[in-house]
This record gives sequence, structure tokens and C-alpha cells, in this order.
Amino acid sequence: MGEYIIECEHIDKSFSGVRVLKDVSFNLRAGEVLALLGENGAGKSTLMKILSGVYTRDGGSVAVFGSRFGDLTPKEAQELGIAIIHQELNLCSHLSVAENIFLGREIIKNGMLAKSEMNKQAAEILGRLHIDMAPDAIVADLSVSKQQLVEIAKALSTNARILIMDEPTSALTAKEIDDLFGIIRKLRDEDNCGIVYISHRLDELASIANRVTVMRDGSAIKSAPFAELSMSDIISLMIGREIKEKFPRVERARGKKIFEVKNLSSGAMVKDVSFELYEGELVGIAGLMGAGRTELTRAIFGIDQKDSGQILLNGAEVHISRPIDAIEAGIVLAPEDRKKDGLCTRLSVRENVALPNLRTLCEKLGIVNRRKENDMVDKSVKNLSIKLSTPEINAGSLSGGNQQKVVVAKWLAQDSKVVIFDEPTRGIDVASKVEIYSLMNELKMNGIGVLFVSSEMPEVMGIADRIIVMCDGRVTGEFLSADATQSKILEKATQFEAKRNTERRDAA
Amino acid sequence: MSGASAEKKRGFIGRVFAVRGMAQVITVTIGLILIFIVFSMLSDNFTSSRNLHNLLRQAAPILIIGIAQSYVLITGNIDLSIGSVVGMSCMISATLMTMGVNPWIAVVITMACCLIVGLLNGWLVAKCALPPFIATLGTMTIARGIAQIVNNNRNTDSIGAGAKFFRDFFYYGEFVGLYSTVWIAVALWVVFNFILSRTKTGRHIYAVGSNIDAARMSGVNVTSTVTKAYLVSAFCSCIVGFIACATGGVGTMDAGNMYELYAVAASVIGGVSTLGGQGLLLGTVIGASIWSVLQNGLILAGAPVAIRNIAVGIIVVISVLLDIIVRKGRWAKKH
Repeated sequence: MGEYIIECEHIDKSFSGVRVLKDVSFNLRAGEVLALLGENGAGKSTLMKILSGVYTRDGGSVAVFGSRFGDLTPKEAQELGIAIIHQELNLCSHLSVAENIFLGREIIKNGMLAKSEMNKQAAEILGRLHIDMAPDAIVADLSVSKQQLVEIAKALSTNARILIMDEPTSALTAKEIDDLFGIIRKLRDEDNCGIVYISHRLDELASIANRVTVMRDGSAIKSAPFAELSMSDIISLMIGREIKEKFPRVERARGKKIFEVKNLSSGAMVKDVSFELYEGELVGIAGLMGAGRTELTRAIFGIDQKDSGQILLNGAEVHISRPIDAIEAGIVLAPEDRKKDGLCTRLSVRENVALPNLRTLCEKLGIVNRRKENDMVDKSVKNLSIKLSTPEINAGSLSGGNQQKVVVAKWLAQDSKVVIFDEPTRGIDVASKVEIYSLMNELKMNGIGVLFVSSEMPEVMGIADRIIVMCDGRVTGEFLSADATQSKILEKATQFEAKRNTERRDAA
Repeated sequence: MSGASAEKKRGFIGRVFAVRGMAQVITVTIGLILIFIVFSMLSDNFTSSRNLHNLLRQAAPILIIGIAQSYVLITGNIDLSIGSVVGMSCMISATLMTMGVNPWIAVVITMACCLIVGLLNGWLVAKCALPPFIATLGTMTIARGIAQIVNNNRNTDSIGAGAKFFRDFFYYGEFVGLYSTVWIAVALWVVFNFILSRTKTGRHIYAVGSNIDAARMSGVNVTSTVTKAYLVSAFCSCIVGFIACATGGVGTMDAGNMYELYAVAASVIGGVSTLGGQGLLLGTVIGASIWSVLQNGLILAGAPVAIRNIAVGIIVVISVLLDIIVRKGRWAKKH
């Protein structure tokens, strides 16, 4: 094992007053694969974004190949030989594989693009990585897993010595994962690269990882050779986040069953999901990023198409193919992405709150009753203590917490039976969080079935009556919150279908 | 409760200013007044009662197509077929009347044809998800072709004495001191402004233009909302076609040529955003007025056509640029 090629010491980083990295020290050697592990929000991505120049640090020092650097820009990081492969694809889908690989560094001859030269070099890079792909294929025509490989080839074509991979296998098939691991070993052993490998799939690590660094709550808490740690050691290191916030739990006997999802499948991210919800019950859906939780709520609400399965309300099947069907049935969804799905940011708070409720606010001929509307909006603003000068200001001008309250307010004026929240507290301050919890409790006390998706495990354990755990599009576990522990939930949340082993067996 | 009492305290002026987009309408109104003063100094005839009457009558069709385009722009789309629908309406109604069809029956048949174009626009854009620029570019060409084919690629003869009431109703008549064309524009504005600002449909039009995903997730039927906007556009364009027919007493194949772009100009000068979700029909009134005052005033001041075109083009660009600069300034302050 070689010399240190990255040495970070005492890195600090805050976003709007919240410390997301606390005195983190981190290092990487040449010729090793370092698995960087931690729960959602532990600070892994932030740390990697500082290394690749996307964010600047507030404090601490970074040394790459032994020389110290101030704030890196993405271009400087690239020139130093640091390449990052993001979880999401960043490709121009209308261009060819070679054009994507050479994007921004096109080879020019006589003032013209040297197309054949670029195709030749791209073919060499692909061949070196044993990727079977034509350099002139159009990226949009490739499968998602092939596109992921293009991303990897693009990163390696810059002659990177330090490679950061964020969940690179989530879209790959078993054979492609094996190929990728082959590539990673080759880069490690022959090219003496240092590789940071971020993954939630702990079972994969045995194939490649030399060393493990575990992060928790913005701190790097342990770094040790992989061989010295068992899986259960790793899980217990990852959890144990102290529960700082107070969760206002209220008790209520649950009523009759009101809502049931049976064998629901939708796209690649929701596979044969079944669960039930009772009156006056608060159910949390836990899981890691990409577990299919948001997709589940979207399928229930009729935004994404359902491939199969049933939705029952009070024992009778309801057919939901558009959001309006769900709303009329009494099922509402406060979506995850406020800016994209939740708010018309250029309309006023009043117009946003009124939008899904216009049916009840209109008189004959669809004329909006402004008095009813103002009363309703004033009441919502007061109930949710949304801080604003007047409801006429643009929704987009509010703070995150207040925006989230407006999204919630849209749905509370309805006579709903089931209310679904997707990440209701993401990116908002602690005071607003508590207000949102109290609101969910209030709905529960009124006998409404409340379902909420959250990536914050303490939050799920703090206020849910029952916890459903999802992994890879399936429900992998269910606990009453009294029985739930963080390690039990995390174990279920990482229960991936062992696709590498089973598929290999199928092939044999 | 505190919100309600604050509402009362602010009074009428305060409430007018609180309406989103009103600030920009007031800015362009000041611009209109300035232009008006300049032209009244340049030419004595400009402020004569006769010229002001004509000016209002010239502004009326521009306002009507402005309403048409504003509706579509607020949904975040565009309607390029407006001018061709004007031509189609003019030619179909005139051809029917020269064939001896009762003018009012001709009006009903023509309106039906124009609304089909609006329905087609809505279907292509909202249901088939064609880019609105392309979809309405297609219907623009088709509608112009129909305008040419209805009378075998010729303008029509005079629509005849039987159509006198038709011509008075849409152009020559006067009522309480104003030409009937002006009254038609006022009536359409009152109705469509009410729909846009006071009804559920109007609210949905703003919501779709502001954020189509959020609107859909709030239970808005996006397809029907967009189609309604295109139907309003076709309806208004058809009325302008009648006005064109009544004006000359003949059907002309190139009636309404370029009107779709004049309509964009009237809308954006008045503060309607081409990105959707933003704009007031009151602004469209000011936009159409600025447009008409410029045309009329420059003619009276003796400016040749070329100068008129250049001046109007500059005004369109400057008014939108000013809006962007003002907005950016506010943006920069906030961040």
C-alpha cells in the first residue's frame, strides 16, 4: 500500500448555520479502495464535494499528493487528477459516447473537430476498461447501466489518479457490477489509483474494499482495515445518532382500517408493495436514498403509472389514474420537492393555498368567492403559524420552513381521510420541524390516517406509531415503534436482493 | 384575524398595489402618458377629437388579439395561429355573405370553424405534448391556407347591402360617442378579465403557467385548462376577423397578417411574461394602447413606415429589458 495521496485535517463546513461537517479528518492512500460509509445526511457527499471543488470548506486543510491547497475549483480538482462520478447521470443524451467522453476537451485539428481521432481514443479507453460499447453510439439509446459506464469512462479518460464513486452500482446488473469491480481492482493494483467508494450495499464491499471510514453526524468516527471489522460492527458504528430534537408524541387508540395498498408495482422503483393504514395512525416509511419511497407515494397519488396492484379505501377499491382522482377520494400528498411539485413559486401564498380547494371555494359558474378564500387562507396561515406580512406575497419569497408550511396548508383545508407527507421536514429549521410534527399529531388525533416518508431515522422513531422499511423498491420490514431500534431498521433498509449471487447462480 | 384587519387598514390604493404585477402595469402606464405627451407636442392633430376616436378604433383589434395572446402566454404557451385565424374568419364570413347567407348565420358558422382551430391547438399542445411554437406554427399555416382556399385563392367581392347591419355592428356604428369596435373590445375585456381574475378557470390558467407539475399535483386538469386558453384565443381572433371584414366590406386573404406577433408585443409591453404564470389583462390594455399610440402618432408626425417599424421594435425590446433589469435588481438585493 502506497503513500497518502489525500490528507484532510479538521475540515469544517456549515450550511445556513447548521454544521454538517465537524472537524473531519480523512485520508486516502494510493493503491487502495476506501469504502466511505454512513447514513443519509452523515456528511459523505459534502466531504466529497469539498474534495472535488464543488463546495468550499469553512475550516481545516486539504493536501493532495503532499501539497496543500486552498479552495479548489472543480477545474483545478480535475487537473490535479481527482475525478468524481456522481450518483445521478450528467451526460448529454443526444450526443455520442465519444462526444460525451471528450466534452469540453474536444480534440481539434485544422480548426475542425477530429471526430475519427476522438472515436479512436474513446475506443481505446473503453477497451482498456473492457466495456463493450461503440464510441459513436448515441447515449440516449444506451441502457441506464451502460450510461453509468460511460460516466465512469469519462472520469477515467482524464487520467484521474483519485477516483470518487458515489453509489456507482445502483443501476448496474450483476455482470456489469462484476466488470466494474474488475475495473476498480485493475485501477487499484496496476495504475496505483486511490479510490473512494460510497455505497449503501454493504455486501458488495467484501469484493473490493481495503479500508473503511465510517461517518456519523458530520464526523468521521472510525477508520480501519476492512478485514478487522464485521458487518455488525459497521452497522453499529453507522447508527447511534443521538436524538437531539424533542419529538412530541401523542397516544391514541387506532381505529378501523381505512387504507390498504395491495401488491402495488410501478416502474423500476416500486415492486409488489403492500401495507395497511388505520384511522388515527401515524406511519413512517423509512429507508435509504433510492429505496423507492417517493416513487411509492407518487404511484399511490396517481402521478406515476401503476403497473399492477390495488388501492383500497374503507374496504372499497379506488381507481386513481390522476391526482384529481386521489384528491376526490380523500387521499392527498404533500410532495418532497417543494419548488418542483409543491408550489407555484411565482403565485401568491393565497393562490397557492386555495389552488387544490377551489372546488369548495367556488360558487355557481366557477366564480371564486373571495371572502371564503381569504377566510380559509387566514385560518391556515394562523393554524400553521406561517410567518408572512400578507398572503399576497409570492410563495417563492418565503423561507424553506414557511414554504413547507404553505405546501402542507394546501392540503389541510380538505376533508381528507389519508394524508401522505414526503420528507415533510427536509431542509427546514428545528422550530418549523416541531410545528410540522404537531400538525401530523393533530391530524392523527382527528382520526386521519397519516403516512410520512422520512430519511431521518430519529424522526421516524420519534413520532411514528408504526414503521415500514423499504429497500430497493420493496417493503423489507415493519416494526411497531416500541420494538424498533436503529440497528433493526438499518439492517432491513440495507436488505438488498442479493442480485450478484442469485443471478450468478441462475447463470450457472 | 390580524390579516383581515390589515387588509381593511390598507384601503383601496394599498389593495390595488398589492395585486401581483400591478407595479409593472403602473410603470408602463407612466410610459404611455409620456409617449402621449410627446406626440401631442409633435402634432396638433394628435389630440383632436376625431383622431382620438380613430386611435381608439385602431387600438381595439390590437387589444382583442392581445387578450387572446395573453391568455395563452399566461399558461406558459404561445399561439402563432392568431393572425391566420383572423384571416380565416374574415374570408369565411365574407365568402358566405357574398353567397347570400344571412350575416348572423355566417357569423355562427365562421365562429365554429375558428373554434375548431383553437381546439386543435389545445389538443396538439396539451394532449399530444407538441411544443406550442411548432404546433401553432402548423395551424398558422393551415389556417392561412384555408383563408386562401375558401374563395379559390381570390379576395371576395363586396359583402353587399344586406350586410350593412353587420358592418355597423363591428365597425361603423357609434354608441354613446364611441365606435362600436371600441365597445366590442371593452365588452370582451370585461368578460375575459373577470374570468381570468375571478374564476376557477382563471386561477388554473395562472397555476399551469407558473408550475405545471405543482398544478397537476393540486388536482388541476392541465389539458382542459390549456385548451380553454387556446379556445379563448381562437374566439377573440375570430371576432377580429369580423371587424376586418366589416371594415373593408370585402374578404381579404391576408387579413390579420402578423397579428400573432403584434399580440405578443401588446402582451409583453403590458407585463405578461412569456414564461407563463404572470400578467394582468389591464397591462395588455396599456400594451395595446402604447402600440397604437406609437403607430398613430408616428404617422401624424410624418414618419415613414420603416421608421415606425424600427421605433415599435425598439419599444418592445426596451420594455421587456427594463422589466428584467428591475427584477434582477430586486433579486440581487435579496440574495
